[in-house]
Amino acid sequence: MTDTTETKHAAEHVLDAEGHFHVEDAPIDLSHYLFEDWTSLAFFWLLGLSVFYQFFTRYVMNDSAAWTEEIARYLLICTVFVAIAASVRRTRHIHVDFLYRLIPPKAGRALSTLVDIMRIAFFALAVGLTLEMMMKMGNLQMTIIDLPMNIIYGICAFGFAAAAVRSVQVAIENWRRGFSLLERPEHAIEEHIE
Amino acid sequence: MTGWLLSGFLVLMVTGIPVAIAMAGASLIYFYLSGTSPPMVVVHRMISGIDSFPLLAVPFFILAGNLMNNAGITNRIYNFALALVGWMKGGLGHVNIIGSVIFAGMSGTAIADAAGLGTIEIKAMRDHGYSKEFSVGVTAASATLGPIIPPSLPFVIYGMVANVSIGQLFLAGVLPGLVMTLLMMLTVAYYAHKNNWGADIKFLWSRVGKATLELIIVIAFPLVIWLAVSVGVNPPLATGVAMVALFAADWKFKFEAVLPIMTPVLLIGGMTTGIFTPTEGAVAASIWALFLGLFWYRTLTYKMLIKVSMETIETTATVLFIVAAASIFGWLLTATRVTDLVTAWVLGFTHSPWVFLLLVNLLLLFVGCFLEPTAAILIAVPVLMPVVLQLGIDPVHFGLIVVLNLMIGLLHPPMGMVLFVLARVARMSLERTTMAIVPWLVPLLGSLILITYIPIISLWLPKLFYR
Repeated sequence: MTDTTETKHAAEHVLDAEGHFHVEDAPIDLSHYLFEDWTSLAFFWLLGLSVFYQFFTRYVMNDSAAWTEEIARYLLICTVFVAIAASVRRTRHIHVDFLYRLIPPKAGRALSTLVDIMRIAFFALAVGLTLEMMMKMGNLQMTIIDLPMNIIYGICAFGFAAAAVRSVQVAIENWRRGFSLLERPEHAIEEHIE
Repeated sequence: MTGWLLSGFLVLMVTGIPVAIAMAGASLIYFYLSGTSPPMVVVHRMISGIDSFPLLAVPFFILAGNLMNNAGITNRIYNFALALVGWMKGGLGHVNIIGSVIFAGMSGTAIADAAGLGTIEIKAMRDHGYSKEFSVGVTAASATLGPIIPPSLPFVIYGMVANVSIGQLFLAGVLPGLVMTLLMMLTVAYYAHKNNWGADIKFLWSRVGKATLELIIVIAFPLVIWLAVSVGVNPPLATGVAMVALFAADWKFKFEAVLPIMTPVLLIGGMTTGIFTPTEGAVAASIWALFLGLFWYRTLTYKMLIKVSMETIETTATVLFIVAAASIFGWLLTATRVTDLVTAWVLGFTHSPWVFLLLVNLLLLFVGCFLEPTAAILIAVPVLMPVVLQLGIDPVHFGLIVVLNLMIGLLHPPMGMVLFVLARVARMSLERTTMAIVPWLVPLLGSLILITYIPIISLWLPKLFYR
């Protein structure tokens, strides 16, 4: 793997002799994006549209539509809570891994397995608590828009549930592979550079 | 009970579980053990923690930066930087720094810059015969500029946590960013002198002149609008005419990088004059970047737009997941009086702002090695803020100190995260990478000392515009 990338890197020159840069974008592959990615993308683009609409009404028509602010806040919540699952799948959530460089591999393996289990437990618990909260809230309405808040909370519950499922998958993957990205962070950086 | 919360969080975080889960998890454990409130409060506060209009600035600043970070614009910026400083001795070292300064004006993150731009910068320097050590060192050092020069994601997060105007923080970053740039370029000049390096391109008046002219246009643009407004032209008209003239000139003279470099100028201009809130500024920057990419330079494809959006969502979600968890955890820290205890402890120890700032510098340099900057801000700032206010330190100045420390921490041996990224990018051992970065700590720590102990460097511009 290292050899092929070395030759690929050596073949191209970023800066030519006349002093012009020739950087090229890496080819784009969208196939590794899954359901939660596309769902959060839909929320994000809706968010972009609503904020753009607000921008437009405020600066061009001098009269900003109040509902756009509320809907934008809710769409941000939806985008984030669904995308949490995607970042679980890719192990991109911000974590600290210095301990794994200091302890023996076997202890690292055990600790990393514990982390996998705790992550599943946390997201499963979060689903339960969100559902409990939705029942407590009953039919609480949004502030300006005439819709129940439980739509938003329901999407958050869905995001937590998806994150729980992805946590299980990551745990299985780590188990099969025999190591996690906590133990070998360079594995993730390698993928990032390619 | 109080001790459980903090130690529970620290233990969880050290195991390597995501920082957000460590915060929310420790809060959950606290509620289950103490029984003071039902545990579902945790999810409720997490969700309402990101239910805020100012937070919308986060995804759009990230989006604007990502939109600008494609090959078309990257080439323009490097060509511009090369024309401007490539003729100096140690040319590509200077180009590397100026390139980072310009990218810093469009995006607000450091680790991504080190991995993405670092690959290009190191390759160009290697092609021109610079040593790996020098290439990696200058790349690492200049990556710290990203969040100091506005716009900056860490400043948005800090402003939110510390309740400080984001516009003031952005302005406060300008001069420190220039001080750092200057010290780093002096370091390159020193290396070039010591090793007797030549220039990388010939000095041509036409080339340097054109790049300088582009720079002058960028600086003159807001001044012209300001002058027009001060003689009585109404602001929308002045801005509109200036914009049309700008694009006409760009179309006629085919400027290399005037429009991308204009991004921070428009943003800061809009925010200081009160035209934009930070959120609107972020949206405006995104619209600007979209317009340049889709219609003006046409370097952005539909597929690329999807990829850029996905990357934006990922960064947004990982940062805001911590913001969400911090909103319950931070509230518990205050409610259980942990922050009061810390304040009392620190004030029992010292009453001198200078000593306190020294200790903060040491603490944050250490923390910055392990912890991603936005996460570190969300944890450390709420705890330190009461002391800062008690000692009469300006919170804007403090913000600069915090962010710069965390940035330097990112590449500080032996643990900094940028160190590991660059070791992989350059395919170099960790030991060699460390040795490559160590000399660059001189200009960086030098800037840190200047910025910590000469507050006016940070505070002059915000005081000028916000009084």
